[in-house]
Amino acid sequence: MEVVLHLPVVPNVELVAAKAVETLGGALGMHQSHVEAASVAMVEACLNAMEHGGGPFTVRLRSDVQDSRPCLVIDVEDHGQGFDPATAPQNSAARVIGSSMKRGWGLTLIRELMDEVQIRSTPGNTLVSMRKYVESSP
Amino acid sequence: MNEERIKISQDLLSDGFGVIAASGYINNEGGQAIADAANKLMGQGCKTLLIDLDGTRIINSIGVSILLEILEKLMDEKGQLAFCNLTPTISKTFEIMGLVQYASVYPDRETARAAIAGDASV
Repeated sequence: MEVVLHLPVVPNVELVAAKAVETLGGALGMHQSHVEAASVAMVEACLNAMEHGGGPFTVRLRSDVQDSRPCLVIDVEDHGQGFDPATAPQNSAARVIGSSMKRGWGLTLIRELMDEVQIRSTPGNTLVSMRKYVESSP
Repeated sequence: MNEERIKISQDLLSDGFGVIAASGYINNEGGQAIADAANKLMGQGCKTLLIDLDGTRIINSIGVSILLEILEKLMDEKGQLAFCNLTPTISKTFEIMGLVQYASVYPDRETARAAIAGDASV
């Protein structure tokens, strides 16, 4: 199973991608709480692509059942200026409580909610690749 | 996607205890709708606010950031914030973003009301 979405930058378009996660995750037999975790990670990846990608972006979802651990694979690709994933800050509650800067949670949430995350970024192309295992920790 | 549009109801009960029920997508618009309802209740004397998220299954970090601002405003007023009916993912997101370190989380509205009433009587 594979779904490819070419998405424009319009309000709430991330919900289209989240709906695809729900559909494929359900078809894989993934627990509802895992589907919802992957949906929130997908929403954050789409918001980052829209905010930093500078234009339409692409979402690919597929089920990987060949591996010993079946999973849902999600790729979100944009064509913005890119960034260095190694220096992207890990956000924390201590940093934002009492501060006027409360944004910047996307990558932190993606890393916490998904089982595997890989980011490749060069000027003009950023690919966030995420996996959520069917049998996953909550 | 209409089912994701935020629906809000609010009620100020006795002793400055307010309840906001919010169902739908908590994004910037959803978060702001909750903040508007919270500001209205606080303007009417609410010091303890329970946000019931029964029916909310999808959130984003922008919406939760607005909830953090509500928390800070209540803390400034020596008030308290509580949540109930969180899905496991929303609960985990709140934990990551620091809401549950400063706000109380209850499984449902009845438990929340009983616990908050118990706190008030101490």
